[in-house]
Amino acid sequence: MNRQPRTLLTLLLIGAIVGTGYFIWRDLRAPLPGAPHSSRTTDVAPSRGGRLVSTLRSEPRSFNRLASANAVTELYSLLAQAKLVRINRATQELEPWLAEKWETSADGRAFTLTLRDGLTWSDGTPFSAEDVAFTFRAAYDPKAGIVLGPTLQVDGHPLAATVIDGRTVRVEFPASFGPGLRLLDNLPILPRHKLEGALAAGTFAQAWNAATPPSDLVGMGPFQLARYEPGQRLVFTRNPHYWRSAPDGTRLPYLDELVLEIVPDQNAELLRLQSGDADVMQSTVRAEDLASIRPLESQGKLQLLELGVSADPDVFFFNLRAPYWAKDPRRGWVTTRQWRQAISHAVDREALAESVYLGTAVPVWGPVSPGNREWFSPNVPRYPYSLETAAKLLASIGLENRDADEWLEDMSGTEARFTMLTYRGNLVLEREAAFLRDELNKVGIAVDVVALEANALVDRLVRGDFEAIFFQYLTSDLDPALSKDFWLSSGPAHIWNMSQDTPGTPWEAKIDELTRQQAAALDPAERRRLFAEMQRVFGENVPALYFVAPRLYAAASARVVNLTPAILRPQLLWAADTIAVKP
Amino acid sequence: MTRRAAVLLVVLAALALAGPWVAPYDAGRAFRGFVHAPPMFPRLSEGLGVYPLVLVDRVEQRFVEDRTRTLGLPWRGESEPVFLLGADRDGRDVFSRMLSGARLSIGLGLVSVLGATLLGSLLGAWAASRGGWMDEAVMRSADFLLLLPIIYVVLVLRAMLPLVLAPSTVFALMAVIFTAVGWPFVARGVHAVVAREREQEYVLAARSLGAGPGRILWRHLLPACAGHVAVQASLLLPAFILAEATLSYVGLGFPDPLPSWGRMLADAGNVNNLARFPWTLAPAGAIFAVTFATNAALQARVDHRIRCPEQEVTTS
Amino acid sequence: MLTFCLRRILMAALLVLAVASGALVLTRLAPGDGIEEGHLLDPVARAAERARLGLDRPLAEQYVAWLAGAVRLDFGESVLYSRPVTHMVGERAVNTAILAVAALALATLLGIPLGVYTGTHASGIGAALARGASTLLLSIPPLVGALVLVLVAARTGWFPAGGMTSVGGSATWAAWVADVLSHLPVPALSLSLPLAATLERLQSQALAEAAREPFVDASRARGVPPRQVLARHAWPASLGPVLAVYGLMIGSLFSGSFVVEVITAWPGLGRLMFDALRARDLYLVAGTAAAGAACLAAGTLAADVVHARLDPRVRERHRP
Repeated sequence: MNRQPRTLLTLLLIGAIVGTGYFIWRDLRAPLPGAPHSSRTTDVAPSRGGRLVSTLRSEPRSFNRLASANAVTELYSLLAQAKLVRINRATQELEPWLAEKWETSADGRAFTLTLRDGLTWSDGTPFSAEDVAFTFRAAYDPKAGIVLGPTLQVDGHPLAATVIDGRTVRVEFPASFGPGLRLLDNLPILPRHKLEGALAAGTFAQAWNAATPPSDLVGMGPFQLARYEPGQRLVFTRNPHYWRSAPDGTRLPYLDELVLEIVPDQNAELLRLQSGDADVMQSTVRAEDLASIRPLESQGKLQLLELGVSADPDVFFFNLRAPYWAKDPRRGWVTTRQWRQAISHAVDREALAESVYLGTAVPVWGPVSPGNREWFSPNVPRYPYSLETAAKLLASIGLENRDADEWLEDMSGTEARFTMLTYRGNLVLEREAAFLRDELNKVGIAVDVVALEANALVDRLVRGDFEAIFFQYLTSDLDPALSKDFWLSSGPAHIWNMSQDTPGTPWEAKIDELTRQQAAALDPAERRRLFAEMQRVFGENVPALYFVAPRLYAAASARVVNLTPAILRPQLLWAADTIAVKP
Repeated sequence: MTRRAAVLLVVLAALALAGPWVAPYDAGRAFRGFVHAPPMFPRLSEGLGVYPLVLVDRVEQRFVEDRTRTLGLPWRGESEPVFLLGADRDGRDVFSRMLSGARLSIGLGLVSVLGATLLGSLLGAWAASRGGWMDEAVMRSADFLLLLPIIYVVLVLRAMLPLVLAPSTVFALMAVIFTAVGWPFVARGVHAVVAREREQEYVLAARSLGAGPGRILWRHLLPACAGHVAVQASLLLPAFILAEATLSYVGLGFPDPLPSWGRMLADAGNVNNLARFPWTLAPAGAIFAVTFATNAALQARVDHRIRCPEQEVTTS
Repeated sequence: MLTFCLRRILMAALLVLAVASGALVLTRLAPGDGIEEGHLLDPVARAAERARLGLDRPLAEQYVAWLAGAVRLDFGESVLYSRPVTHMVGERAVNTAILAVAALALATLLGIPLGVYTGTHASGIGAALARGASTLLLSIPPLVGALVLVLVAARTGWFPAGGMTSVGGSATWAAWVADVLSHLPVPALSLSLPLAATLERLQSQALAEAAREPFVDASRARGVPPRQVLARHAWPASLGPVLAVYGLMIGSLFSGSFVVEVITAWPGLGRLMFDALRARDLYLVAGTAAAGAACLAAGTLAADVVHARLDPRVRERHRP
């Protein structure tokens, strides 16, 4: 009947909807409406009071740092507990903390620490050297300190802590140990009056779990946990008994309240920051999100902080356990040094930095990135991008293209192909893995990338059931003597061939020897020289390949002042006591 | 309506089948300088040419058109890439990926929908017409499948399979899983329809005329469910195409350079990119088109079948 | 009717038990041991952690211990959080239920009337648009849909972008309710839009079919006004297949949606279930799976009972 008007009406209606959609979309793309431009945050002197809202990506499982290595537990420990000495995350230097000073014995193995006067726990109980001795007892108790205990040992032996008097503790190392007291940055001091019963009863590992009432959690950090709302947030309030003051005499912390909102999704976390619902993000800003932070920065609503180069570059390694390859036709070349060197030559690190990290990453040639200021050595062997060199190295182990397809073969006709495992769900890793595959395809190496759930991947890693892995491995510490588990061939984090009884190769034996010397040496210059040598031997044999280390960025609301950013996690909240907000 | 839907469906099917050949670029090819390059529109004034893009800001992934030159359409083999639907986060051509992924996504969707609706309607109708403990058994096993969190099963299944799976194996596995997950939905609906229809006069009449249960099921009860099954099919189709990405999260997905619409959409799930690079959502439009066409075509067939008997009655 | 209900409830309880057992066994068979931090590679520490999680005990022994507790409704203690599973599931189930009720109401209020409209208007712009909108909503992955809504909320400031309550906390009950209500729109919309689309499609088709039934024709021929024909005859007759799927919808809403809960930071069951699975926290996995299955079973059961009540022919057949 009236076909014409109807069609017209339909078109009009569709047009209207599309138009509205377009305007909404344009509106969404536009930067947020400008707030009045505020003065730069650094100009403002910090003042006491106010609330800071930060985010947390996962649920707390335990508030017991000795029994849990969880990132949330670690953050809790930084906020609510204190150590004898601490490593300043920004300067990467050792600082007095609960211990105001210490004396070192002539052989460098014993330290006499003097505790600050008049310290009290957050519940008002006086603090004494007995608490320190108790913490050491708990950390080395086989049923209590299951997680932290092993990291507090030197060559498999515990430290001895003895109480001299109420304010003096003597800590003795079982062997000469280069890092010395840096080791104690891991150990939060726990209240004897709250936990002694649990330790005696053998239930220490379960104590201070997620169900413990917050009032029982007593510490000496700047904050105390006031409320835990499962699935929603942790609310911290000022610890009234906190001992630290600002240089101008103001009692710290500046903040009255610190809230950690549990926001599991990284996108949602970023939106909270952009909309002003959160002041500080727990995660660093991904390269692809920088573009959405910049306009807000120029409007004066957010501050974008460049932290420096990450100390944890992503790592790629082959399984170097000989038995794994025993029956494999590829055994002749897949564990050789030339194979790994060829791969290192075949990857264009600059292009990787540009396409995956949008140019916000720097090439690296070993496990120690320029972000590790103290220990980075620029004089390690480098494998500049060159397809010819890669092809030559591959030919030297018998890999050449012997048939019509695009892949290389060895003498017996076995294809140069391997399976690379990576984490599922970590998009940057997955994209990097795809990039590596494309690069290796260019020299005729076929790669099957398989993304696995994190649990399944670690399971295969520990069982040694993998060909190659590309993933993120967090070194335990910047100091090589504190990451011996990685360097020593007997170490559990010697990822390419874990926990060997005797070093499998001459160069691993060499690194083992250097590692031990390096850890035992007390002279910093000597230690640096030895570590540079370790990095050189590592670089020559490339048991693990490193390509780029990203630059890290953190973002915070403009109302947050007095931030001390660091490349180590938690990048901003590690110095929570000196953070302030504008009123 | 029917005509148009059928034509659309045929065009889509042809595109899906010919996808990899029609696609201007290899689906896995990453153009490194062109991360998130915007779509380039062919200009009529330039004889369907496009202006090449120049990168202005790498971090912001901002490009401008270079209006001094034009490039031909991508099939002409220009020296610079031409992105008709923009580029994704790895600088891969969205248009090519969508075309190449069509076969997998549509194929998987259709096979699974076919499996789920067939199994679901047969079992549901059979159970409802039989009644008794057999009915109980079928419907409760449907419930069990609905209740079981399927992700657990896939997780264990994945661990038992070899690390590297051929795409055809993945396809078959997924089709089986989707069929297993999907049929209870159909069965429940069909069960409800048949339970209502089996007491209707025409069925009773057929029975009194001596028709066997099989014949009644086939000739009378199943056709009565056709409409409902058609709707269920159009609901399951997009769900299956999208669910492929969910399974790939637990490790059972097509290996990476192989594009699929579900994965493309899942990869686009970055909140700021959604607003800044909306062309990465293009596969949603494709799923819409396929669902819409299938729905219209199915609906038209069903309506036709229902109307025909009526017409017979009126003419006789 | 009573025996029908009782038998179905018993059946549902058995199914829930079977599903929870399945989840427990499957999780135990899944690779890896849920030890969260990648750097915890020390074999001694790993062994200790596995022992703490109970992953070193034989599966059969563990299962029997769990089953013995489960039949007494004691689902054990979460190793990860050292809290009773029933408490954890309980507090999350309440949150999920709040969201589910809101989402269900929205989906029903949007989907059913639209379905009735499109079902009775075979041609026309409005119906075509509604159909198109439904298909579009079904073509968008839940992840993207939720993200867009959160983005809109964050950019416009109309609603809080996530969470269930505000940071400050609420002094009174009324304030708490208002606070939760203000947080509801984003997650409820993300959940309900695809469901509304599903309901619209189902209702539309079912009604179009019911309108062709002889008895509907008959009442129309008797001169009953079209509106009444629709309300008294056609619509009730169309409900069977809609209810069959509606039951599943109720169930899946009350067992929690992982994607929406993660994106909108809603502290519900779906998130808990995923965390438990990722950490291989066996008892928590079984507990959340049981809760989810119980909700689904209750949903389908409710739908079947309503269907049986509405349609005497169905009821008759369930008499033994």
